[in-house]
Order: sequence, then structure tokens, then C-alpha cells
Amino acid sequence: MNKKRFNGYLTAGLLITGILVLLTVIGAFYTPYDPTAMSGAAKFQGPSFAHFFGTDNFGRDIFSRVLKGTGTTLTIALATVAIGAVVGTAVGAVTGYFGGAVDEVLMRLNDALTAFPSILLALLVISLVGPGNKYNVVLALGIVFIPSFARVTRMSFASLRDTNYILGARLMGAKSGRILLVHMLPNTMRVVLPAITIGFNNAVLAEASMSFLGIGVTPPDASLGYMLSEAQGMFTSAPWYALFTGLMIALLVFGVGLIGEGLQQLEREVA
Amino acid sequence: MKYAAKRIFTLLLTMIIVSFLTFAAFELVSGDPAQTMLGTQATPERLALLREELGLNRPFFARYSSWLAGFFSGDLGVSYNYRQPVWSLIAPKLEITLCMCFVSFLLITVISIPLGIYSARWTSGPINAVRTAFNQLCMAVPPFFTGILVSWGFGILLRMFTPGDFPGLHEQFGASLKYLFFAAICLSIPRIAMTVRMMRSTVIGEMNKAYVRTAISRGNDRRGVLMTHVLKNSLVAAVTFLGQTMAEIVGGSIVVEQVFGIPGLGRMLVASIANRDYPVVQTIVVILAFWVVLTGTIADLLNQSIDPRLRLGGHA
Repeated sequence: MNKKRFNGYLTAGLLITGILVLLTVIGAFYTPYDPTAMSGAAKFQGPSFAHFFGTDNFGRDIFSRVLKGTGTTLTIALATVAIGAVVGTAVGAVTGYFGGAVDEVLMRLNDALTAFPSILLALLVISLVGPGNKYNVVLALGIVFIPSFARVTRMSFASLRDTNYILGARLMGAKSGRILLVHMLPNTMRVVLPAITIGFNNAVLAEASMSFLGIGVTPPDASLGYMLSEAQGMFTSAPWYALFTGLMIALLVFGVGLIGEGLQQLEREVA
Repeated sequence: MKYAAKRIFTLLLTMIIVSFLTFAAFELVSGDPAQTMLGTQATPERLALLREELGLNRPFFARYSSWLAGFFSGDLGVSYNYRQPVWSLIAPKLEITLCMCFVSFLLITVISIPLGIYSARWTSGPINAVRTAFNQLCMAVPPFFTGILVSWGFGILLRMFTPGDFPGLHEQFGASLKYLFFAAICLSIPRIAMTVRMMRSTVIGEMNKAYVRTAISRGNDRRGVLMTHVLKNSLVAAVTFLGQTMAEIVGGSIVVEQVFGIPGLGRMLVASIANRDYPVVQTIVVILAFWVVLTGTIADLLNQSIDPRLRLGGHA
């Protein structure tokens, strides 16, 4: 047994992300106020014990809104990364393991696609499928994240192909599907997991950007990006709205970023 | 030179493929532009007339080739929404966006390269931990959030510029540049963090190589080895990364323009997507795509002239 070193990044990241996820899960079932309920008496109130994050120009409770918004943003980011990771890994596995002309063509296409800023690709897809709908946002971002996952996993699968244990499995008559799923996939997790953390953060930022621009998630669904664009208009009268919404996005990305950093450190220690 | 010619040929080929794919994609979704333009005033006769006028009756490839020819001669069609030639709508906005991106690129290069090299001194310990955390934090704060804070702090409190009131590049160049500078700061912060990270890991990677150990064991000091050998070898990675950065900031500028109310290409793109003004969207997408491909090619060509090994077709 080798001594385990304390991984500060991983611990801090898991702690921050854990607290945020817990808050969001609670927020899905219970919020102190109705996030859309307006109140003429409680307009533009600063943070207090009654309203942790204050209220906006309609007297809506910002803490409740931020909880709901984080829920939407998290769900979309997770769905997006799930599409990107599953499809991307499948493409990477097939092209990396079998190689050949399909591999060559797909990788050229991949090189071209990964060169493009993800927000630009997402905007292109959203303009094709139609803006202002959360399922289209998931679809657009999901498609956009496929190439980067395919690229990372392809390299991993291609390098595993020539290892002795895979050769052994093939000699024993294992089918390609079994080799890919049972023997290779677990060994690619060390590159897939950090890629997921990066992908998740890109997804959060991309969704927030698109909703901020008004072509992502639109009301009645609350998303942190859309709320921030609302908050910009009332910054002088209710600065806490923008502050807490923006800080929530930053904290979410920061926490997952630290997890990614911690995973990479773990990887370096193993290597 | 042979390589450069080959690279430029690939560049043109990629541009044609990209423009073809974009044209085909919008052809699929845009439906009947004549119907869109006429809206409720559409009668079968007027529709037929407008289709004839816009050349929609011609086959797909004929329309694509005339669109491509038009693209290079500055005739990009007519916007559905503004009923104006697309080029005259886009040209002034392109200037503004490019201006902001160059300011941002300059900021990124000047700040992050020295900072990245400097921070390579610490590979463990408390300073390194704080640096890593701060680096992650800078990447986590979205530019539209810093944008709101900067327009409030520097704009409303310190009155260094008026948020939402862009002076205009031709009317007041100096004031516009100042305005764009604040926007560029917000655009640059996450990219600076990423570039520092990249530069740092490249330098550390080089410092661990055998030639550095040899040089140091022969009595050179670390600083001298860093300046004379390591930096040269890190340059290729830096140029490649900065090429990607140039492409990324154009993507990021879309959001920052919205926050600061800068009448650039990004705002135009977003408005046109919302209005389904396909000729405008298509043109902006192709222009931005060309930009991405072009910066990649320039970075490649620069690397060729920096590293002789690449000229022989090897890998650095």
C-alpha cells in the first residue's frame, strides 16, 4: 500500500460542487418563495434574513430564482455532456480501434470542427434548429461537444489497441464489442473523466452565454444566463441580483474546474 | 516555399468546403425566402415574381456558385429584415469586431506569455497551489459577468466611458478604442488564464528535458538556459495556441458585444438568428469560419519559419 497524498484541489472542488448540487436538489423541491411570485411591497430589497439574496424590480426572491436557475443550467450542462461523452466516446472507440479510411475522414472532419469556437458552432446549430427552446439548446451544445470527446478517446483507444493484454484477449477469441466495452473502456476513463470536467464547464458557460444572448433558454424556464441579462438592466437599483447570479455561475465552474485539476494531479502521481 | 503554397491551397480548399456546407445547411432549413420576405402580402403572382428576381428557380449548384462568386466580389445578397445589401450592413460591424479582437489579442499575448514563463518557477508548494486556484477562478468567471461589473465600475462610477453609447470608430477613434479596451479586458481574462496555464506547462515540460540538464551540468545557470534554449523550443506551442486564441476570442466577442452594447458582428449575428434573417447569418458564419481557418494557417506558416524541423515534415 502506498501512502495516499492529500489532494487539496480534488477535496475543495468536490466540497464546492457538492454543496451547490445539494442546494440545487433541495431547490428542485422546495424554495423559500415562489421564484416567479411578484410582490409590490418587496421591490428592490437588499440581502436580508427574509430574502438571502434580496429581491428584484418585481419583488421576486432572488435566492429562490438562483436555486431554480442553477437547476436548469446544471440539467442542461449534464445532458449536454452526456450526449457529447457517450456519442464522442463511441465514435472515438470505433475509429481508434478499427482505423482505416473512415477513421481518416472522420478525424479530418474532427480537426476542422474542434478548431471552431464552441459558442460559434452552437449558434450555428441553434440557428438551424430554431432558437429559444431548451431541448434545442441541449441538442445544439451536445452536437458541438461530440468532436472533442471523440478526439480524446480515439487517441486512447488507438494506443490500447496494440497492447499485449488486448492482443491476448483477441487471441482468446473475444469479440470486438467485448474488447471495446469490457477491456478497453475502463482504461480510457483516466482521459475521459478530466475531459468530462472540462466539457461540463464549457457547457455551463456556453449555455449561460446563449441564454444571456436571448437565444438559449427563455422564460418561463429560468436559467442563470438569462437571469444575468435581466439583472444587467437593473444593476444600479438591484446590484445583488447580478452579483449573486454571476457568482453562482463562477462558483459552479470553479468547483468543477478544481475537480478537473485534482484528477490531473492524481493522474500525474499514478504515472 | 513549397510548403507555404501547399498550405495556402489547403486553406482555399477548406474555405470552399466550409462555405458549401454552410450554404447547404441554410438551404435545408430556410424554407422559401420569397415567402418569408413577403409574409402576409404573398400572392402566387408576387411570389413567382420575387423568386424569379432572387434567382430561386435556378438549380442548387448554380445558386451556390453564383453566391460564392458574389461573396468574393462583395455581393452577398439582400437581408430579409433590413432589405439592404448584406455587405453594406456587415462591413462597418466587421471593422469594430476586428478592432476589439486585436486589442484583446494584444492584451493576452503581452500579459500571459511572460506570466506563464515566470510562474513555471513553482511546480509545488503553497505559491503554486494559490496560483492554480486563482488560474481556475479566472477561467470560471464568465466574460459577460465581468462585463457587467466593469461597465458599472469603470463606466458608471468612474465615468471613464458611457456604457451602451459606443462613439463610433470613424467619428471618434480614440474614444472608441478606449471603449473597446474595457470590453477587451473582459474578453481576455479567461483566455489569459488559459494561455498562462499552457505556457507554464510547456516551459516546465522543456525544463525537464535532457538538453536542459546537460546545459546546466556544463555550468550554465537556469536563467540563461531558459532564455536561450527553452524559450525558443516553447515558441512553436505558444504560436499554435495563440492562433487558436485568435479564433476563440472572435467567438467570445459575440457575448461581450452584447454586454457592452457594441454594434459589432456578434450582435448582428445574434439579432439575425433571432429574426431568422438567413442571408445575414450565413454570411457572418462564413466570414467567421474563414477567420478561424485563416488564423490556423498563419500560425502554421509562422511555425514553419520558426522551427526548421517542421520544414522537413517532422514533429517538434
